[in-house]
Amino acid sequence: MRLPLLVSVGVLLMAVLPCPPCRAFLSRGPSPGARQIPQQPQPLDFFQPRPQPEQPQQSQPRPVLLRMGEEYFLRLGNLNKNPAAPLSPSSSPLAGGSRPSPDEAAANFFRALLQQLQLPRRSFDSSARPAERGAESAIGVHQEATERKRRSEEPPISLDLTFHLLREVLEMARAEQLAQQAHSNRKLMEIIGK
Amino acid sequence: MSSTFKLQRHFILIFLTALRGESRYLELPDAADHDPFPLFSANLKRELEGEQLYRRALRCLDMLSLQGQFTFTANRPQLHCAAFFISEPEEFITIHYDLVSIDCQGGDFLKVFDGWILKGEKFPSSQDHPLRTPERYVDFCESGLTRRSIRSSQNVAMIFFRVQEPGNGFTLTIKTDPNLFPCNVISQTPNGRFSLVVPHQHRNCSFSIIYPVVIKISDLTLGHLNGFHLKKPSAGCGGVGDFVELLGGTGLDSSKMMPLADLCYPFHGPAQMKIGCDNTVVRMVSSGKHINRVTFEYRQLEPYELENPSGNSIREFCLSRV
Repeated sequence: MRLPLLVSVGVLLMAVLPCPPCRAFLSRGPSPGARQIPQQPQPLDFFQPRPQPEQPQQSQPRPVLLRMGEEYFLRLGNLNKNPAAPLSPSSSPLAGGSRPSPDEAAANFFRALLQQLQLPRRSFDSSARPAERGAESAIGVHQEATERKRRSEEPPISLDLTFHLLREVLEMARAEQLAQQAHSNRKLMEIIGK
Repeated sequence: MSSTFKLQRHFILIFLTALRGESRYLELPDAADHDPFPLFSANLKRELEGEQLYRRALRCLDMLSLQGQFTFTANRPQLHCAAFFISEPEEFITIHYDLVSIDCQGGDFLKVFDGWILKGEKFPSSQDHPLRTPERYVDFCESGLTRRSIRSSQNVAMIFFRVQEPGNGFTLTIKTDPNLFPCNVISQTPNGRFSLVVPHQHRNCSFSIIYPVVIKISDLTLGHLNGFHLKKPSAGCGGVGDFVELLGGTGLDSSKMMPLADLCYPFHGPAQMKIGCDNTVVRMVSSGKHINRVTFEYRQLEPYELENPSGNSIREFCLSRV
């Protein structure tokens, strides 16, 4: 029972502790749910930076330490930059106490991971498109074809995830698969026994 | 019937039988004929089939290694989501859209990628995949339901999605299909055994293990085994002909990994190597002229083995990149 509490406390501390670069990086400006009439053009322009005139364009990748009781780092931003060195392991908020159920542990893990994980953004040349802002509802066929061609030449959509985290989620998936197999076997034996 | 004619007839029969053995095919039972429970009554079979479909909610960041139906529903704007799929090495993955409710015009998207891509590095690499990178993405907002079922080219696939409106989402059904000659594989486990067979195909195949492992190659066949004679092996190595290479690195893309060893001639008997890299790849380069096969076992390196390398081990390259 202490485990989810400790994880929640750790996540809360991360949100509260002063970390201006992290906050600035994680700030998304106008909430997408508040969607004033979208300022961005063409809805198919994925990962276009949100309008944040009060903040400088993020150009430097910022490693973020995710305190899950082990050593993690996530690389956000430019895929071509080298990752920062991982920080030293912190005390584990997950150590000791009874372990949560596998589903709860998985949910906690992914919830905390998502708060720090962010897909890399493509670098659009926003300065070249002042005329397109406000014309998103009137995109012609020619512009769509141009956009598709440009998208095909863009860097591929990707996910920044360390191998360590990839192995963690893979092992959780394997555990789920084995649990489901055990469940199926149990059901089968119950049916056969009738 | 003269003895000479009998001998000729027997020889022809043996020859034809041997030739038939050269063609490789597997008889797969028809779906209609396949009955895994032939002794069970109809009621029991219906009960079993009803129990079999696994369902759960899909998370914004998820990994799935089993078949079933998965539903993602946004409870708040979810801008950057991805789900990895991985199956057994000898299976393809089929992703079927059951229901999609997203606002493409509003900026939502749902894309399937044929393989895995991490930090810009793809598996299989561009050299080992038949499609160009843009073609490996299938965008629901562009293709719609015209491509309702998408099958991967190997045992891994993934989706990227963004759903901004709470309540919107989608439902997918993940199924697997058999793959007779797996070519590009990511191992689900750090321990295992596998035989990579490339029969008369001009393609490059990779088996990736995303763990530091000790790998033991027990058998390597490069060439065509015809009766009791092994034909002259192809002139491998040096990037020419058929060969197997061991790669190590810190990313998914085998084309960006360092070759650690080249195996150019057939051999039997274990050859072992410790590779302390985040990713170890056994890659077979085949010209298509031969039937090539490599069999290997692998197990994860223990922490003490990483600390104290000894014997045949390569770790300095990978550690220097961390």
